[in-house]
Amino acid sequence: MTSVRIGLLLSRSGTYRLLADACRAGALRAIEAVNADPSLPLTLDPVERDPAGEADAYAPLCAELAAEGARHVLGCVTSWSRKEVIPALERTGTVLWYPCPYEGFEASSQVVYAHACPSQHLVPLLAWAVPRFGRRVVLAGSNYIWGWETNRVARDLIEGAGGRVLAERHLPLGDEDVGRLVAEIRATRPDFVLNSLVGASSYAFLRAMAGLRAEDLAVPVLSCNLTECELPALGPAAEGLIAAGPSFGQGLGSFETAAHAAVLSLARRMASAGPEAPLDALLAAPDGGLLAIDPATHHATLPVLIAQVEGGAFRVLERHEAVAPDPYLSRRPSLPAAPHLRAVTP
Amino acid sequence: MRRLATPVLAGARAAILHRPHPTVEALTRQLAAIGLAAEAHWPDLAPSVLAADFVFFDVDRGHDAQFPWKPGEAPMPMVALIGSEAPGRIEWALSMGADAQLLKPVGDGGVYSALLIAHSAFVARRALAAEVEGLRARLAERRTVLRAVLLLAGGQGEEAGYAALRRRAMEWRVTIEEAAARILAARGPARGGRHDRHRPA
Repeated sequence: MTSVRIGLLLSRSGTYRLLADACRAGALRAIEAVNADPSLPLTLDPVERDPAGEADAYAPLCAELAAEGARHVLGCVTSWSRKEVIPALERTGTVLWYPCPYEGFEASSQVVYAHACPSQHLVPLLAWAVPRFGRRVVLAGSNYIWGWETNRVARDLIEGAGGRVLAERHLPLGDEDVGRLVAEIRATRPDFVLNSLVGASSYAFLRAMAGLRAEDLAVPVLSCNLTECELPALGPAAEGLIAAGPSFGQGLGSFETAAHAAVLSLARRMASAGPEAPLDALLAAPDGGLLAIDPATHHATLPVLIAQVEGGAFRVLERHEAVAPDPYLSRRPSLPAAPHLRAVTP
Repeated sequence: MRRLATPVLAGARAAILHRPHPTVEALTRQLAAIGLAAEAHWPDLAPSVLAADFVFFDVDRGHDAQFPWKPGEAPMPMVALIGSEAPGRIEWALSMGADAQLLKPVGDGGVYSALLIAHSAFVARRALAAEVEGLRARLAERRTVLRAVLLLAGGQGEEAGYAALRRRAMEWRVTIEEAAARILAARGPARGGRHDRHRPA
């Protein structure tokens, strides 16, 4: 029986701790399953590092994991941290299995993207929302690449369909001062808000939006990064939220599911191609149909679900099976254009 | 801030002018991930290059005769693949009309931004060239306009002549230059105009 080192690079504290905890739970559950499975000729031996939510801590800790013999690492939650570790991955020949949704426009040969890219979250979410709610939109996001690029793509799609972005606000990671953003929403009464805030900022914003609902101003709030793992932190403030993701209703949500699938898929591929096999060979090896990875982009083909929080749990509203990844949005998606004829309102 | 118009890249074609080399493989991999089909050419660009949407060309060993167009007249965006950063080579890359560059060895990134920058620079360059050509054409017609103004003035001064010419141009929905040429042509070649430039006086 071969024992294979696998690195876990996830923050045990910091503003996005709940997301990292979900990823860690999924990875550990998969490691346990692999180690208990007599049909697999290998066991996984996890080695962990905790960057504590500090972006600059990720690259050195990733190099440490490589030095301790981990050729595969599951980890990173923010794109900021993922972009920080890529040079270390290239230098050490390590592969990162990334279990979170992100904003696209990347296809590193050292990264496997196991969660959704914009063609699998933002584009279908807006295509669902615009015909139902309208085209007057407020965009909110955390002040780094995830918020910036998600909102840029959203603006392109919405304006391309004849809609309007009434306001766009970015808050620093961890900032809970959402007063101005909420005041702008109260003033502009948008058809919906796209919330790409992360962690504490998002919780503060959603609580304030719940307050607006109590004032009888119900504005739908949409998200591409909200899953079950954050519902306990939100409580009743999460009611009515609409999110896109590859799975809902499973344990801690899609971050956990993606991390679990990534580790299990890796183990099955190593069982077939050998634990030392290069990534191209691993991706060509079978994994029992668990996680289909496109060899050109290293991105997963995934279902796309649109779901809404009702009574503390997500209820699925729409489902698309096996949506191919298009990380660079090269196929130029568009939303249905604004109708030429409009009802005349006084 | 100017909004970036992103080109349609899925199904676009890229020609790579480079000898067989890991650079070509790395470039092809990144292009495939973005959604482009790549075709390698060496030692020169095959006729199929005219169907390409982008050209990546080696600056280290490149020369004018590899291209089926004159320097600076590429009909698509061009990205220079630079290894040796010698000023003479950069000068040559610029003379070929490089819209963006990528440093060798080509690794895991850089191709997407090179495509967007090259596309944007190419579109801007082409728009500018069209504008310059239009201005040149108008400049060349200065003498025609002057003659038409004098003709229409009929002794009432240059301003009246110009106003009359502008009126005609608006009525006919043509440029001032075109209106001037029509007026002179209608008067017959003996009175001059742009069609009698080479006649003996």
